[in-house]
Amino acid sequence: MTSPSPLPSPSDTGLFNQVLSALDIALLEWEMNSGVLKLQGCAPMWWHEFPVASGAAILDLGHWSPFLRDFLTYVQQVWKDEPERTIASGPWTEPDQPNGTMTLEARALPLGPRKLVLIERLGSDFENMRSIVQRARERMLVEDSTAKSFRHTETRLIGQLEASERTKDDALALLQQLGLAAMVLDERGQVTFATDRTLEMLGLAARETLGRPWDQVFSFRKEDRLLMQHLLEGSTPTCSGGPFCLEGACTRWIELEIHRDVRHPTRHILVLNDRTEIHALRQALNEQASFHDLVGKSSAMLRVYQLVRDVAQVDTTVLIEGETGTGKELIARAIHSSSSRKNKPFIAANCAGLTDSILTSQLFGHKRGAFTGAIQDQQGLFEAAEGGTLFLDEIGDIPPQVQTALLRVLQEKEITRLGEAKPRAVNVRVLAATHHNLSEDVLRGSFRADLLYRIRIARVQLPPLRERREDIPLLAQSILGEICAATGKRVERLHPDTLRLLMSHSWPGNVRELKSAVEFAVISCKRNEVCPEDLPPEITAASVVPSSSVFIPLSNRDEKTRLLVALSEAKGNRTEAAKRLGISRATLYRRLVELDSQPH
Amino acid sequence: MMQKKVCMLGGFAVGKTSLVRRFVTNMFSEHYQTTIGVTVEKKTVTVDHQDMMLMLWDLYGEDEFQHVRESYLRGSSGYILVLDGMRKATLDTAHMLQQTVVRTVGPLPFVAIINKSDLQSEWEIDQTIIEQLREQGWPVFFGSAKLGRGVEELFGHLATLLMDPSLQPRAHS
Ligand SMILES: Nc1nc2c(ncn2[C@@H]2O[C@H](COP(=O)(O)OP(=O)(O)OP(=O)(O)O)[C@@H](O)[C@H]2O)c(=O)[nH]1
Ligand SMILES: [Mg+2]
Repeated sequence: MTSPSPLPSPSDTGLFNQVLSALDIALLEWEMNSGVLKLQGCAPMWWHEFPVASGAAILDLGHWSPFLRDFLTYVQQVWKDEPERTIASGPWTEPDQPNGTMTLEARALPLGPRKLVLIERLGSDFENMRSIVQRARERMLVEDSTAKSFRHTETRLIGQLEASERTKDDALALLQQLGLAAMVLDERGQVTFATDRTLEMLGLAARETLGRPWDQVFSFRKEDRLLMQHLLEGSTPTCSGGPFCLEGACTRWIELEIHRDVRHPTRHILVLNDRTEIHALRQALNEQASFHDLVGKSSAMLRVYQLVRDVAQVDTTVLIEGETGTGKELIARAIHSSSSRKNKPFIAANCAGLTDSILTSQLFGHKRGAFTGAIQDQQGLFEAAEGGTLFLDEIGDIPPQVQTALLRVLQEKEITRLGEAKPRAVNVRVLAATHHNLSEDVLRGSFRADLLYRIRIARVQLPPLRERREDIPLLAQSILGEICAATGKRVERLHPDTLRLLMSHSWPGNVRELKSAVEFAVISCKRNEVCPEDLPPEITAASVVPSSSVFIPLSNRDEKTRLLVALSEAKGNRTEAAKRLGISRATLYRRLVELDSQPH
Repeated sequence: MMQKKVCMLGGFAVGKTSLVRRFVTNMFSEHYQTTIGVTVEKKTVTVDHQDMMLMLWDLYGEDEFQHVRESYLRGSSGYILVLDGMRKATLDTAHMLQQTVVRTVGPLPFVAIINKSDLQSEWEIDQTIIEQLREQGWPVFFGSAKLGRGVEELFGHLATLLMDPSLQPRAHS
């Protein structure tokens, strides 16, 4: 538009109007002084639909379009400085027929002194642009809300994670605070969690424990490991086992509670209880009440136990003296198993009632053909016990020739098999036992004095049962337990009356007799308690008419009378009187002193 | 009658059109039709027994596709900053637009509204942010074009500000 007079000449009017109509543009001339806008040429379609546009083609701006009025004010300001500038309004919306809107855009065009305003109705290009922007914005809103919901979920999950971490930390702190020893095993039996206390008990660091299989973490003995395996494979939700021995620098005893994890039944939660101290105490208690297989905690027996410990330390021959049935062989076994020979053989031989040659051959062995029936070479018990202990029971019954041979063996430490000439060296500890008074046998000439001295280097004297009656309840209960275990019968205890009877019996056959009496009673017993009537008749009968030799706790007055009667019957000989009463001389003496000092 | 040009400014889809429509025709539509360009609506309000014609310039939302033409802002007496409580980013846009106004037209009276209060439980703009805005001197309203909550108060408050001669714009180039 460079022409100074761009408005169409009358001959161009037709073309000019067609162009305006095709572009949907209204062309207005703006008389800036009056502010009047005059339509030039043909009006576009939308112009006619617009009610406020006057037929006279003069636009009342204030009424029609505040936007356009605002724009023209702005244009006037701009043209003051830049009179040549074409200015666009940008799109705006006006109401359209019926109830619609149309989007218009105005352009102010200065043509020298004449000012034109072109108003264009924006068409399909504009609509395309609008729908693209619309879609883009909708898309952004959707993405925004998706991102937000992600953030939401993330925040929630982080919150939950933090909460569960906190709960875990709290639970852990609680566990640690309580000093609870607990661990978790996964489905493969590997440790996934262990409290500090557990690690301390196992003597391991966390890295040596976590992720490792339980059987590498628990230093169990084989049998304990198998038992634990069995417990873990069991179907019960909760079980317990032990005490198990944890071997290591310092041995520990633990009990285990094994819980199936309710959330994951293939996982296990283990709670460990340290029972080391209890175990030690129990052991000490047991040791007090029994020693190896010997039962009893009477002072007499405690002395015996000490003696056994002492003689076990040395390698000398020991003579064990005691009435029949007192458990001399048990003493021999206890000495052997407390001694350094404990891993070598222990062989017991009863020398009673054997002939010279049989005993000789049994002890020292024989060469084939040494006597009728000696069909092959045979080693004797000395050789069989090589490195270990040979227990010769009833040594007082050994025939004189064997005594001589035995003496030589003890002195020379070598034996000669019957029928052989060459001696063989032996390393055997001899423990001998007798119920005889061997000194008397020596005096009588039936036992070699030198052999006696040779074997009596150390002596253990076992008290008869009647001298340690306080052990009877313990012994009877222990025997009862053994019998029940062997027979499968369930007899739990002894009736107090039964116990009273057992306590008052004199037990000439000692523990052996007590054992057979309890055995008898268990067989007769119909309940879970041994009653007096279950006992053998000789014991029940004895209680009705107590034998004079039986010590029964009576009232002090009665007891004193009985003690005095016994003394006078024994013509003042306290040993004899004690024997008659079935108590030791020491007990008799002590009771006499006690009764004397008590008010009558 | 006194006429006042008031621009509705804010990010896209914050509810500028919806607030104007609710105020002028008491209608609301869930359907989102983005505004391109400007629509001018009029409504007369009475402040201190005086009628005032509010010329409400509902501008398009500011975003990467359309930036507010500074020429649209000229001649304004005041403006309303609209924020969407659900989108924190609309707060930044509002800040930016406010600076544009100050730069272009000067410090005009304005009111901020955090729209979509019917969804307040899902808002990203929290109380701390609102407190900060108030400390900066922003009059902050809550509202919902959807429920018509806070709309009358919003325009009413701006109208009173527009009546206050001490708050009227000085001439600005
Ligand atoms: N829930 C709810 N939705 C609303 C509210 N106000 C507006 N909307 C919705 O928000 C969307 C955008 O509303 P508009 O009013 O078009 O927003 P605008 O600010 O004019 O958007 P542009 O013109 O694109 O800048 C529409 O779908 C409305 O229905 C409200 O108060 N509550
Ligand atoms: Mg809009």
